[in-house]
Amino acid sequence: MFKIHTLAAATALICDALVRGAPTHDARCPRQSADCWVRRSSVLPPPPRYPNGGFYTGLPAGALLETNNTLDHPTGPEYQLVVGEGTYVLRDDMHLATPPPHPSDAPQPNNNPLAINTGPPTAGTKLSTAVIAPRRPFSQSLFRMTTGQSGRSPIPPSIQEEAQSPKSDTGSIVNGFGSASYYAHMPTFGDNNDALRPAPAKNSKKDQRAKPKNNIVKSNSSYVSRVIPHEALQKRLSDRSPDGLMVFANCNRALMWLDLTSDVKTENMTKILFTKAHVLCHDVNEATKSTAHLDVILGFNTSDIIWYEPISQKYARLNKNGVINPSPISTILWLPHKENYFIAAHMDGTLVVYDKEKEDAEFVPEELNSVENGFENDSPSTKFHIKKSVQSKNQKTNPIAAYQMSNMKINNMAFSPDGQLLAVVCDDGCLTIFDYINERVLDVYRSYYGGMLCVTWSPDGRYVLTGGQDDLVSIWSLVDQALVARCVGHDSWVTDVKFDPWRCDERNYRFGSVGEDCRLLLWDFSVGMLGRPKAMSVRPRTSVSSHFAMNRKESHGRLRSNSNRTQSQADGVDGESTRPQGVHPVDPMRSTAVLPPVMSKVVDTHPLTWLGFEERCIITASKDGRVREWDRPKDSDDRQQSAAGAGDM
Amino acid sequence: MSFFGKFKPGSAQASNAAHATAAKKDPNAPQPTSLEKHLADVTGPTRLDGSDKFFGFENYGSTCYCNSIIQCLYYSAPFREHVLNFPSKPFLDSLADRVAANDQHTNGGPVRPQSSSTTPYPNLASPARKQAPPTSPGGAKPEESKDSPEYRKKMALAAGPVLEMTRDNSQKYGMDESLFTSLKDIFEAILNNPSRIGVVSPHKFLEILRRENEMFRSAMHQDAHEFLNLLLNQVVDNVESFSRQHPALTQQPHANGAAPEKGLAAAMSAAVANAHRRGIQQDQDAHWVHDLFEGTLTSETRCLTCENTSQRDEAFLDLSVDLSPHTSVTSCLRKFSEEEMLCERNKFHCDNCGGLQEAEKRMKIKRLPRILALHLKRFKYTEDLQRLQKLFHRVVYPFHLRLFNTTEDAEDPDRLYELYAVVVHIGGGPYHGHYVSIIKTQDRGWLLFDDELVEPVSRDYVLSFFGGDPVPGVQDARQLACAYVLFYQETTLEAVLKEQEADGHLDQVNTRVSDAETAKDSMSPTKAELLRQTQTVATPLHEEMEDLEPVAHALTAPDMGHSPAPPVRPHFEHMPTTPALSPIMPSKSKKELKAEAKQRKVEEKEKEKAEQARRKEASEKRIAAWKKQDEDYKRVLEESKQTAVEEMKKRGEEPAPASAGEKSGAAAAGGLARFRHGSVSLRGKPKLFGKDKETNGGEKTPSAADDATTEEKKMKNRFSLGRKKSQGLP
Repeated sequence: MFKIHTLAAATALICDALVRGAPTHDARCPRQSADCWVRRSSVLPPPPRYPNGGFYTGLPAGALLETNNTLDHPTGPEYQLVVGEGTYVLRDDMHLATPPPHPSDAPQPNNNPLAINTGPPTAGTKLSTAVIAPRRPFSQSLFRMTTGQSGRSPIPPSIQEEAQSPKSDTGSIVNGFGSASYYAHMPTFGDNNDALRPAPAKNSKKDQRAKPKNNIVKSNSSYVSRVIPHEALQKRLSDRSPDGLMVFANCNRALMWLDLTSDVKTENMTKILFTKAHVLCHDVNEATKSTAHLDVILGFNTSDIIWYEPISQKYARLNKNGVINPSPISTILWLPHKENYFIAAHMDGTLVVYDKEKEDAEFVPEELNSVENGFENDSPSTKFHIKKSVQSKNQKTNPIAAYQMSNMKINNMAFSPDGQLLAVVCDDGCLTIFDYINERVLDVYRSYYGGMLCVTWSPDGRYVLTGGQDDLVSIWSLVDQALVARCVGHDSWVTDVKFDPWRCDERNYRFGSVGEDCRLLLWDFSVGMLGRPKAMSVRPRTSVSSHFAMNRKESHGRLRSNSNRTQSQADGVDGESTRPQGVHPVDPMRSTAVLPPVMSKVVDTHPLTWLGFEERCIITASKDGRVREWDRPKDSDDRQQSAAGAGDM
Repeated sequence: MSFFGKFKPGSAQASNAAHATAAKKDPNAPQPTSLEKHLADVTGPTRLDGSDKFFGFENYGSTCYCNSIIQCLYYSAPFREHVLNFPSKPFLDSLADRVAANDQHTNGGPVRPQSSSTTPYPNLASPARKQAPPTSPGGAKPEESKDSPEYRKKMALAAGPVLEMTRDNSQKYGMDESLFTSLKDIFEAILNNPSRIGVVSPHKFLEILRRENEMFRSAMHQDAHEFLNLLLNQVVDNVESFSRQHPALTQQPHANGAAPEKGLAAAMSAAVANAHRRGIQQDQDAHWVHDLFEGTLTSETRCLTCENTSQRDEAFLDLSVDLSPHTSVTSCLRKFSEEEMLCERNKFHCDNCGGLQEAEKRMKIKRLPRILALHLKRFKYTEDLQRLQKLFHRVVYPFHLRLFNTTEDAEDPDRLYELYAVVVHIGGGPYHGHYVSIIKTQDRGWLLFDDELVEPVSRDYVLSFFGGDPVPGVQDARQLACAYVLFYQETTLEAVLKEQEADGHLDQVNTRVSDAETAKDSMSPTKAELLRQTQTVATPLHEEMEDLEPVAHALTAPDMGHSPAPPVRPHFEHMPTTPALSPIMPSKSKKELKAEAKQRKVEEKEKEKAEQARRKEASEKRIAAWKKQDEDYKRVLEESKQTAVEEMKKRGEEPAPASAGEKSGAAAAGGLARFRHGSVSLRGKPKLFGKDKETNGGEKTPSAADDATTEEKKMKNRFSLGRKKSQGLP
């Protein structure tokens, strides 16, 4: 008969057996990290170190707890990604040190295998990148946005103007798009509300941006456990090149600020340990970043939010103890081109817009009068509900606005490159295109099945990619308001998906995806290729490019069925009026184009949680805090050399 | 408290009553269990279909494999309905008529489950019970925490009601004693017990299981998947052999057809259940297990020598998939259908070119099952260890699923499935451990069924059994619990959307309940007590009724509507509302209890009335809908008649158009009724029409139906299909 109290012993036994029986990658790590430490300790003062378990960590004595990030440079064919354009080679494999639990939060041995309290949600490592210097335009590489423009003049500015991914947009002065003056004539969030007019700036100098009030290093808050700034932080900051890549990375209860272009990249610029809370998401404000100022926003699994300015080490805590919304935050993003506003996706399905400088106040959903509420009736999502409109005159305190998007968890969201739309994906399997400026839901698309986990926009704003629990990456065309293709190739859930703007042009798109299967997949899709119907396809697709000529406002109708496609196209020609809203039906697999990957490779031993494309490399991050940088293929000569070099080793 | 008296001998009754009263006075009185809190807002009578009964199952020593699987089957609405409605009601009626000995059966219904036992079972002395975890090791340890599962299981058993399934009712079903009849006994007992919560003691079921299957005889840990497969196959066998013995049975419902049809309008509330039954009768030719769980795999083998492709269909009741680390069930299913090379020792005998040849083989799903039982092969034979080993691979499973690995000609290849049950294996290896199941109930969210214990759990909890290699040094027993069998049932996007909105409401309710809990914890015990009271207090009344006419059976009872006796079930529902009855309280109960109950009754009465009215309305609507369906169907029939003149003539020999319409009405109602379960999409409809025609044909020539049965029987491949990887050997 089964006895639960013997389980703990059983666990220990099995674990031991597993380690001994099958030396895994994990078992190798302590040795490596020990080596690293020894090497480094000859140069630097001994790093701070926790007792080797036993005391309060709940770990057996002898297990080495790493407090320093470690760097490795594995070579060999399994650390190379072979794609058409060349071979990506793993340059740096950095393992972020997972902090042990805080003494006050030591894990209790759990003997109940069915314990119902699953604890607050956690997340694998994700990165927020920041490059201070204006980035070089993508046109230097394959991306030929500028040249392609002339041929695509009919495209309205809303999708034309931004050539870059949201993360890397501002600061780049390509064609003048990214600049503040350009956006002056674009509607932005809260424009029409006088209550949101910024008070006349106290500090008129542009560089003197508002800073949070409290010093995080000297803080006596019990929320923050420890802050470890680098000894030579100021020197490192002043010495570094402004076009270097800085990242903020979460790992368990730690947040690390790293300079990936530094020679000593494993040394954190600053590391913050929180007492119990885990940072689940973070974002750097592209509009305010400078060599002297970075606005970083952190969302926690305790529902708290911290506005952090790392250079001055100041911080402020918002939604303290969940006063505005008590549920954890899965994604947090600065509103595009806004200095103060950011939007947090809470796990109860609510989107909340906060002002970083406003105080919290207990939030009671505001009842809207029927006129304001009117469009909700024909909103395609019955779940959508405005809890507080940005037009509300009550703007003395946070929140600025709040929206119920779903009654299930919001997993991810992304702003369109032009900053006008927000794509939100939820556990209920819905992709919602949200016109947040006008506070209306435009479209709702459904996954093939299961929840959607990640979302991103193409650099030109035409396509949205989602990945989810159906193991698929789905390509949605906003122009067509339809599913374009499903990308089959992952062996498990897709956790992140991004376009590679350096390898996109006006007809060909490159994107990548990572998943629970530890795989990185790269995909190419070209407009022409998708224009051709799949062999089995029931739905004849005319070339997608032909639609580019159409005004975005033109309707293609809801593609409810194959038969009405021509009908709806006809509608589109004369029906200039409004873009139809709708919950779009799920397309059957047989009539949908299927896209295979151009590259698929297991790139980690743990499920991957984040993917990023940089000018020089692809970056992947995994659940256990491994950040890997895969260098892009060099010129063919170099490549041969490096390949030969790898062979020698 | 006389409720217990019905189940237990005198002494037990006294002690139980004493226990119950003591519990109320004791300041350390048991806190309401989380299930009681969860059900705190439930009012009104229990449902007719058993979907709002939450019973744990007593563990007889390593019988968790059995408990977890039976729970999964019970909460499959169509499976439960079929078990409860087989054999058909008319058959049982006629059987009851024949059994002259038991007069009382004629007025109520022939079946009275064992549990409301006339013969007391020496339950507390039972060796089985002594073995049970709640009473032995737990009780011995004084330091045991009140939060420990052992303690709570013990409390669940103590709180009861305990349904002692010690006797067999098979003769009342007109069947031979079998696993099916004892399973039916259990389902009937749960359904007929007025309490919403309790514990089933599946004594008889285990007895039969062990008697008939040597494999399960030992007290050793058994494989839940093997048990599932065995149970389904035995149910098929039992049901089929019964059908063989009574080949005329399928005709019976049709013979009675006319009367219930007219009775429909009259007996409102009975109509729903009635229609259910009638729908089910259509496929009562013993195929219902197949209809639910069976799918068809096509194995396509392409001979590499002659390029000839041969196809072979195999039926399956569940799918066993191989696991690899860091995958999803989607990917496991895809791998299952990947091409496999048949070579070397495993060459393929090609009929075309003759002799053993190398070939490519792949298996795809041709017919999708309505319930997809997915067995994750976590127990794998390892050569070097010479034994089975548990694979802890992390395999993620979503709440919804569609199948990618279907054949080109598969019908409805995009069928949407929803996860409704997960059987979890806890333990380090295949030879020991524990099984529990986590099951989605109709409107009470997800519940964890751990033997005697039933607990509400969050939606997130369901997805916390992906597995993953245990981390050395981390003392968390949760690492040992991994999903082992997944039950996906057919659903529609509309149903999912509806549920997603409802889920939000349920969550709100949950938070409200938990808020109330934390706010006034002192209050909640009484609240929960009240919940149980409503059941217990109301019980004597029902019991009186039961003595007259077993309410128990009313549910599955045949359409009583046309018999002069009023339908029994409505009685049950009306019961608490009858004001005259409310003062009649059992003398044993406390005064405060009385007062509470009284007030409760008044409240309930009002709710009842409203509910009754609502129900009436709804059922009227439904009837109207059925009629419309009926008419539609008649029209279709007319059309089909025009095209098929010959058949028309044949039909003409029989009572012809009227009866055809009658039958079709039943069929349509059946279709609707099935749809009501939320597990059949409307797509099933055309098929149903076809089937109806078949039955019409079969009716005239019983031999044809018989042939079909035997043909079905011949299908050798009822066993679950696992992929035998030939080249997989190292």
